[in-house]
Amino acid sequence: MPPIVEIQNYSWRYLRAEQPALQDINLSIEEGAFVGVIGPNGSGKTTLAYSLNGLIPGQYQGIKEGTVKIAGTEVEAYKPGELPQMVGVVFSDPEAQFTAMTVEDELVFGMENLGLSLAEMRERLDWVTDLTQLKPLLEKPPYEISGGQKQRVALAAVLAMMPRVMVLDEPTSMLDPVSRKRVFDVLARLKRESHNTVIVIEHNLENLVPLADRMILLHNGRVALEGETGGFFRQAATLEQAGVYPPGGIAFFHGLMQRGAYTGEIPLTLDAAVAALEGLMENRRHE
Amino acid sequence: MSDISHSPYIEVQRMSYSYPDGTQALRDINLSIDHGEFIALVGQNGSGKTTLSKCLNGLYKPTRGDVIVDGLNTRATSIVQMVRRVGYVFQNPDHQLFSANVWDEIAYGPRNLQLPKDEVKARVEEAAGIVGLTADDFEEHPFFLTKGMRQRVAIASILALQPHAIMVDEPTTGQDIPQSLEIMNFLQHLHDEQGYIIIIITHDMPIVARYAKRVIAMGQGQVLADGPTADVFADSAALAQTFVEPPQITQLAQRSAHLGFDPRALSVEELVQQYLVLRGR
Amino acid sequence: MNKTLLGYVPERSPIYAIHPFVKLFFLLVASLFPLFISAPEWNFGLIIFVLLLMLYSRIDMRIMRIYVPVAISMASIIFLAYVVLGGFHPEFAEIGSLLGIRVYWERIRDAIVVYFRILPMIVMMVFFLNTSRERDVIVAMRTLRIPFVVTYVFAMALRSAGMVIEDFGIVRQAEQARGFDTHGKSLPYRLRKYVMYMIPLFALSLRRAEEFSNALIARGFAFTGPASKTKRADYILTHYRFTRLDAVLTALIGLAFAALLVLRYGFGWFTLDRSVFLPWLENLLLHR
Repeated sequence: MPPIVEIQNYSWRYLRAEQPALQDINLSIEEGAFVGVIGPNGSGKTTLAYSLNGLIPGQYQGIKEGTVKIAGTEVEAYKPGELPQMVGVVFSDPEAQFTAMTVEDELVFGMENLGLSLAEMRERLDWVTDLTQLKPLLEKPPYEISGGQKQRVALAAVLAMMPRVMVLDEPTSMLDPVSRKRVFDVLARLKRESHNTVIVIEHNLENLVPLADRMILLHNGRVALEGETGGFFRQAATLEQAGVYPPGGIAFFHGLMQRGAYTGEIPLTLDAAVAALEGLMENRRHE
Repeated sequence: MSDISHSPYIEVQRMSYSYPDGTQALRDINLSIDHGEFIALVGQNGSGKTTLSKCLNGLYKPTRGDVIVDGLNTRATSIVQMVRRVGYVFQNPDHQLFSANVWDEIAYGPRNLQLPKDEVKARVEEAAGIVGLTADDFEEHPFFLTKGMRQRVAIASILALQPHAIMVDEPTTGQDIPQSLEIMNFLQHLHDEQGYIIIIITHDMPIVARYAKRVIAMGQGQVLADGPTADVFADSAALAQTFVEPPQITQLAQRSAHLGFDPRALSVEELVQQYLVLRGR
Repeated sequence: MNKTLLGYVPERSPIYAIHPFVKLFFLLVASLFPLFISAPEWNFGLIIFVLLLMLYSRIDMRIMRIYVPVAISMASIIFLAYVVLGGFHPEFAEIGSLLGIRVYWERIRDAIVVYFRILPMIVMMVFFLNTSRERDVIVAMRTLRIPFVVTYVFAMALRSAGMVIEDFGIVRQAEQARGFDTHGKSLPYRLRKYVMYMIPLFALSLRRAEEFSNALIARGFAFTGPASKTKRADYILTHYRFTRLDAVLTALIGLAFAALLVLRYGFGWFTLDRSVFLPWLENLLLHR
């Protein structure tokens, strides 16, 4: 089985830009993986997201080198309308991606575009509103719901199209912490219950790290670091150089590591950090 | 700029605010803000923090009670007089940039104040200098600048009014960490070197921990907690009411208090130091 | 209370029992009525009829207050235009003279006729906009088999209106925060300054437009090309059922229109010479 996403020697330069936005990208992502993509602004994360669903080169002008394959087929080889069925994208602005007049119409819009029957739409609508807890909001228009709720609607609307790959481009950057958590709760549930491949681009690592199996660091358009999450976060120096500031717990253990006071696994959640700290203090007492 | 006054610069006395349609947004607020403060206003969406900040500079007038800035009651004072004292930088710079070039954009405020031409020129140059814009930038059209630059132009346009206090709505939302630190360091410079009162409205708790000396937590239209940053982070009952959590490092410290750590730690360095001390090294 | 395009209608209004298509059909057909009616008293009756419909739909009639100044200013403009610039025929009866301009009865008559033709159309539009939610308009258009792209663009225009209004409020505050104050300034000054608001509003829309079109593509939507020809299941129509009542009402409206035409062209009703009001008024003005 080829990886669901296969990118080889891929470079992209926007038409009027001096520098390429992405250079020599080589990535392969297995189906069902939950991947986090991080990096400073301008490092090419959004370009990467848009390359996966055909917006690049479809909507943007520029020069492409290398290949981007989804399920074995080059992105440009897909007929118009086929790629959104394979790769769904959730964007960062909740307002700008609400394309219909009510929540229900929004959820159904994508499905209608795909030509699904009423029965199929109803079934998927049921599933998706349950997953994202949107049932009470179905009749509401966009101006009556919060930013966080709009993002859950966007997530549900894309999920309803059942793409094999879900790409989320900074889905929570415009949201408050509570809404942020709720969006990630949906992603956690999605991870447990389905086989979608999920790629999340984020700045806010606190919620992302516990869910991601793998992490990719982009810096200046290149892949600066990549790997399974635990090992990824051991690379404190590389992360810092790229302007990535991990959540407090991880940063604390980095601090200890730098002083040679710690050599164990980097705890990825707050609970794990507390447990690790307790473990350390226990060991100390026994010395 | 730096009055050595003993009365607070901004005083809020039993202030309530209701929207024109009747919903009450703020209930019986009492606050006082002195010169030289660096305050973070936090709380869930809908808690009233944005409404409160707009009452502080006269954009909204209280429906009950008073807001007194530099001795002037906001209800009795024109907007023009208010903005010379308390500046407000909106979250999205696109909501306010409309001039054809950066120079005019920054000059807009002083021109509204009806200042003489050379005064306007002096202020524009000073404000631009503080935010790091050069003479080359003056001719640029704001629409085509990067987000970070636009934000700086927006801030400069407020600085040109030379207020004593500056309120910034969500300075770090949508920015990556290096950009957030850059803007916050800049606000800190304004505070430390230029003597401004800085009030930020934000969700970004690590930033609050690092820069704010005082935190006001709002919930359901009321002030739930008001005090030094570490104190407010320790008030878990108040924070829970408004769905605010302290930054992860503080949470780690709080949950490791039983191991001997100080639950009031605000930074990674602090906690690391504590650990090394506890380990006896 | 449910929000409609122009206002609010309480939840228990009878208007919800009617399929949106019927509401649109009524607007389209009934707006044609005044074109065939010259006698102002009939058009006035039409206005009363629509106002009664509004009352029946439980619309808060206080909103009509907003339209009174509009109605008055329109009347003045039409009246003045006709009196000063109206046609001339040697047999016109002169009533008097105002500021050196001769005031003719025929011109006044024409002004009244035109005014009472326009007014019902406006009232019907107000009725429609006050009883239709955004979704109703879309459903009505889809029922009429208007191409999806057209209805969609229309819907997005409605949505954008809301966002622009919201932005406008924020832009205004942002300008105030920089010392912009219109208190005590003249109207021309204010108008000039309001133009500058257009720029941030425009900039905001442009920025949103890019993300919006990306979102449309990500949802598999296409304006042209083979993808746009997919047969849509029109889920939105499932919210409404076209009942017998709707069929009856549609038929009634159609019949009323047919009756109107028959009475007008077959029997000469609704014409100027059959009017009762106009001769009375003429008498009043000419033979004081």
